[in-house]
Amino acid sequence: MKTNQIGTTMMALAAALLPTIVLGQAQQTPIPEEPSISPQISLNGTAIGTLEYHSPRIVLPSGIKSSSSRINLSDSALMLGISERLYRKGGIGSFVIGGTTTDSDKSPSGTEFFLHKLYLDYQTHVLEGYIGRTDTGTQLVDFPTLRGDDLNEFVNVLNPFSSGENIQEHRYTNQATVVLNRNLRSFLNLHAQNLISSSQNTVGQGGINSYGVNFQYQELAAMQALKKVPLWGFGYERQTPGSGFGGANNILYGGIVYNIAPDPVDRIDLRLQDIYGFGNTTSSFVNVTDTFRAPANTIAASLRWLHSPFGKPGHQISLTAGYKSYTNIRDANTLALALTGVKRLGSGFDLVLQYTYQHRQAAYAAVYSGVRDEHSIQLGFVFNFNHTFNQHLGPRRSLMNLQHQYIPD
Amino acid sequence: MEVTKQNGRRKFLSKLASIAGTMGAGMALGDRSSAGPKENTSPTGWPSQLVINETAPKWNPRDMPKPGEKIHEFNIEVTIEKIEILPLEEHHFYTFNKSMPGPEIRVKEGDWVKVNLTNKTHDFHTIHWHGIYVPCEMDGVPLGTQYPVGYNQTFTYLWRAQPAGTHFYHCHNMTNMHIQAGLYGALIIEPYDGEDIVQKTFPYERDYTLVLSEVDTEFLREQMNEMLMMGEMMDAMNGSKKLMAKMDGHMMGWFANKEAFLKAIKDGWVPPYHQSRTGPAMRVEPNFFLINGRPYPMTEHMHIKQGENIRVRLINAGILVHNMHLHGHDFWHVCTDGSPLATPVRMNTVPVFAGSTVDIMIQGTNPGGWHFHDHSDISLMNNGKSPGGMMTMLMYEDAEEAGFKFKEIIALDS
Ligand SMILES: [Cu+2]
Repeated sequence: MKTNQIGTTMMALAAALLPTIVLGQAQQTPIPEEPSISPQISLNGTAIGTLEYHSPRIVLPSGIKSSSSRINLSDSALMLGISERLYRKGGIGSFVIGGTTTDSDKSPSGTEFFLHKLYLDYQTHVLEGYIGRTDTGTQLVDFPTLRGDDLNEFVNVLNPFSSGENIQEHRYTNQATVVLNRNLRSFLNLHAQNLISSSQNTVGQGGINSYGVNFQYQELAAMQALKKVPLWGFGYERQTPGSGFGGANNILYGGIVYNIAPDPVDRIDLRLQDIYGFGNTTSSFVNVTDTFRAPANTIAASLRWLHSPFGKPGHQISLTAGYKSYTNIRDANTLALALTGVKRLGSGFDLVLQYTYQHRQAAYAAVYSGVRDEHSIQLGFVFNFNHTFNQHLGPRRSLMNLQHQYIPD
Repeated sequence: MEVTKQNGRRKFLSKLASIAGTMGAGMALGDRSSAGPKENTSPTGWPSQLVINETAPKWNPRDMPKPGEKIHEFNIEVTIEKIEILPLEEHHFYTFNKSMPGPEIRVKEGDWVKVNLTNKTHDFHTIHWHGIYVPCEMDGVPLGTQYPVGYNQTFTYLWRAQPAGTHFYHCHNMTNMHIQAGLYGALIIEPYDGEDIVQKTFPYERDYTLVLSEVDTEFLREQMNEMLMMGEMMDAMNGSKKLMAKMDGHMMGWFANKEAFLKAIKDGWVPPYHQSRTGPAMRVEPNFFLINGRPYPMTEHMHIKQGENIRVRLINAGILVHNMHLHGHDFWHVCTDGSPLATPVRMNTVPVFAGSTVDIMIQGTNPGGWHFHDHSDISLMNNGKSPGGMMTMLMYEDAEEAGFKFKEIIALDS
């Protein structure tokens, strides 16, 4: 009863304070803002849910064997983007915040939410600068697998500070990046990264521990299906684990998307990427983290057929393959492939089916509980949407900006 | 119909014999351009009587120019330009000859107009001659009277200037977007010398054209980008037989007839209005209201002196009604859609409907600097902030002599 009364008093107090609280809820900023303009708000989401069968039983990153079946919800994400035009044609200022789901054997639900995006972005015609957490600066080519983290160790420059517990640590990082461009088609990306350090071996190495540069060419969005080479690029990255942990690793990487059949209805394209690491002295695997840092050559390739009757995507079939060989470690090669089918049921809503296979040689399999051959099959749905509220900014790489002089909106 | 007897009726009949004599038996289209002052007029020359054949073309629109007839030739190019409609408020627009509105075309009634329209954008365009008795093929309706003009193509329009009056022209492809994008301009057909009853009644020298329109800059940017994306793709495919074969009407949503349309839906084509494909469509909510392509305070003033008459031609190329109001004066509404009213009407606020033109005569009777604006106050904003939008000033050049010292103040919200 007493607590109840206190509760009531508190509520009355809260009600009296509410207007103040609502107005004052924004956190302190260097220059306190008057009621601000209503910014442009974008909401972007992807939900991926699949029923998965695994053979042999799923090995969780910790090495524990799980069941042979599961409901896989990983790599689903929700993002909020806020943007506004800056004073005097000064460009666009934005921030993005978002979370994505991850596999986790520690969480009872099997899924955790991971803050994968939180960055501030400043864009003008000639440059874009951002600071915060977002995609690693080394991403070049997207492969047409069901999830962005499928075939992870073949398509990404890996994070040598990761415990392996959370795959997303290879794909998202804290960074300060500047991207210079020429005609908004050629991009030079300079970045200093703070790769997430979760491995026990790399405690104390959580500062700027990776930096690099890459160049990328991107064709107009309208020409993606028609130009022979809509995207290509290459880069150099230097990761700096301590000398007690193999030392710095230099990595060269490059990739290309090639339209075998440029066609808006039946597009067939080939994606190729190679990641070559050298300079690191790691020469044996004790745990999964070692596989992320040991010098290796990694090739990924995919062949994709996208059928778009009447110019709108209808279905897609793709085969993606990866091969990795370690320079200093024998009998540690691994290869994987994914066969992915997508049928569009409605705008942004797809029925998906994916078969994946991975083979590991003995030394590599050792850190995966000795599992040498692994198969999985998944069936499920994907829902993807993107909506903008209060729109008053256009995409920077719009045709009008690309071809008819840039306007910062 | 009984034609009332008037002085000089014989002359009238002789000039218009074919028409007056054959009422109800079809229209003759003979040349009656040399007609003098019409007989059914008031002493000022103002029409005082209903002539139901007035809407018939004076010249057969399907004729071709004959040797010796005057032909005005214009080259008009559509390009994409950056235009700063207000300081710091810069957007991409489609333009006729790099200006918004397009150049004013002013010719004498009965002359020929030849326009070579060249498209330098990856969208499609046409020109519709609004209010003109063109031959049907020259009407500028895409997929209605002509194929729209594609990238780097030229289409030549040829027509005889009739009827006289204040008209306009505009692109008729995706009209809503393309007019917002800037593809419109004034088209003035001056009556033969001595036939301008407005001039006779209200002698004037200065003549202002005010084209009214609106733009939703968000809608415009999104739609322009979407169309340019598609156009760019189509132009890239153009030239490859294999790719062109893939690009049947489905991609553009073009069908030969209703059967073809229904068959496409059966084959799985999802029409653009279908909710599952588009979601709710973007609504058009204009945020800038323009006079000759600029909002206040960047609109241009009109000038007058005491005792002077000025003619103001109001052309509504936009999508809303604009109720143009002049402070401190009444004015005479003399013409609508180019033709004289039965009698001038005295007012201080005149509605100009979408697609319509209104000519008014302002008399210099009250020296000062006066606001002239749309009285729908929603049009008096720039991006939601007042004052702005569809407003200009009537400035007396001799106001100071009359004892009025006017200092123009530009006051915007801070
Ligand atoms: Cu047009």
